Amino acid sequence: MIKVKNLCRKYDALFAVKDLNFTVKRGEVMGLLGPNGAGKSTTMKMLTCFLPPSSGDASIGGLSLADSMKVRRLVGYLPEHAPSYHDLDVEAYLQFTGKMHGIPQGTRQDKIKEMASACGLDAVMFRRIDELSKGYRQRVGLAASMLHDPECLILDEPTTGLDPNQIVEIRHLIRRLGEQKTVLLSSHILPEVEAVCDRMMIMDKGELQALGTSAELSKQAQGGVLVSASIQGEIDRFSTQLQSTLPDVEVLQQKAVEDGVTHIEIQHPDPECQLAQAVFYAAVASGAVLLEMRNERASLEDVFHKLTQGGQLS
Amino acid sequence: MSAMLALCQKEWRISLDTPQGYVVSIAFLLASGFFFGSSLFLNGQADMRHWFAVLPLLYIFFIPAMSMRLLADELHDGTYELLATMPTRTIDIVLGKYLSLMGHITFLLVLTWLYPFTLLLLGHLDMGIVLSSYLAAWLLAALFSAMCLYASALTQHAMIAYIVGLVLLLVVFLMTQASPTLPIAVQDWIAMLGPINHYQHMLRGVVSLADVMLFVCATFIFLALSWFALERRRWR
Repeated sequence: MIKVKNLCRKYDALFAVKDLNFTVKRGEVMGLLGPNGAGKSTTMKMLTCFLPPSSGDASIGGLSLADSMKVRRLVGYLPEHAPSYHDLDVEAYLQFTGKMHGIPQGTRQDKIKEMASACGLDAVMFRRIDELSKGYRQRVGLAASMLHDPECLILDEPTTGLDPNQIVEIRHLIRRLGEQKTVLLSSHILPEVEAVCDRMMIMDKGELQALGTSAELSKQAQGGVLVSASIQGEIDRFSTQLQSTLPDVEVLQQKAVEDGVTHIEIQHPDPECQLAQAVFYAAVASGAVLLEMRNERASLEDVFHKLTQGGQLS
Repeated sequence: MSAMLALCQKEWRISLDTPQGYVVSIAFLLASGFFFGSSLFLNGQADMRHWFAVLPLLYIFFIPAMSMRLLADELHDGTYELLATMPTRTIDIVLGKYLSLMGHITFLLVLTWLYPFTLLLLGHLDMGIVLSSYLAAWLLAALFSAMCLYASALTQHAMIAYIVGLVLLLVVFLMTQASPTLPIAVQDWIAMLGPINHYQHMLRGVVSLADVMLFVCATFIFLALSWFALERRRWR
């Protein structure tokens, strides 16, 4: 649905976005992560035809960005901070948006009703927008962006400034929309992206650092497998046994917790080496008892931290 | 086209539905009524020459006030980003805004028709002069609106848009006032291109193509400049 190819945008001599390549499949929810100033908003502004790219191109639904008028009909856009006309009431604002998108008069009213109830705006339809809370304004923006039934939604930080309840509501809404539409959303709240998105990409300094599902990203970030275990028995015999089956294994931490029980963290650089199985068999062979074992995963925070502090994924 | 009208309608609604719109309108009508009344009672003549002579000054203060938020506020609040990502061309945005501003000013000018009707009851009014003067006043308003719209496209701050608009209009106005003190060559240019000079021609009751064309062309130039100012933002 969205295909981005070598997209660049320069502000003067500075690259805001550099050689960006990614695709978003139809019906997928893609999260765009990155610290402030990473180029997330600039990317979105280019995809919505607000800013022209300096070089490279992207296509939405098979249409190149150069075909701007047609692309705009396919895309619903919620800019950062959900701007809207504070002097209008919600109904008038949605009417205005509908007219701007050329929705014929006959269906406009129905469409507005449908979107208003989908976004939970029924109670505030005739309130002025400047009287509404931030959460409602965000919903007004969301309703307006979906009014013309776009195939693709681009949402720039849709949940900033909302309280936890509102965040959950907006997340549910996005999840529900994601079943029918292609959604690209940016955020710097990691759990949110993890909860809402099918796949995510991490950007830093205008460049794509990583792309994948959250499980894939954590695996990459770790650069191997990590197992932590509690073992009762002779720990040295267990270690030699393990080393004889998997020579590259590395013991990161070893600590005697209580009488005869040792907590141990073991790492192996090859993610396919079945480390957990090896630990189990080593314990059996050395006559030790395995009390606890866990496959550790790098959290998304770790991945994010690693990537946006100058480190590269291995 | 429909987008342009929708935008115009929205502006129209905001300018009549909110205090900022009607405070400006009422203040304009009060000031214009004051100048009409005072010259009528001072001179005791059934003509509107004095009122039309003062009208550009009223424009200088009120048109920037009516136009300052049109584009500056959109740029400031981020709603311009919404407009520019709807299936709308930039020129539709400029024209929609301009039409709403012209609608507002035309509405105010229509309300001042009360003055000639009053004068018709009191004495013999030369309707030819009044009509050509109204045409001149409307054309001058069209030009001044385009200039102030351009000022509003230059900045994100409505107050700066007001000041820039005011200065642009003052320059146009003072150019004609100061022309007797300037070198002859410059005087000729001002007589040829000064909007106020052409406005004063039309107040005499003669509608010449040259006068009308000057206003129309200058208006187009400033609308094009507004369009350019908005487009330029995308490329920075």
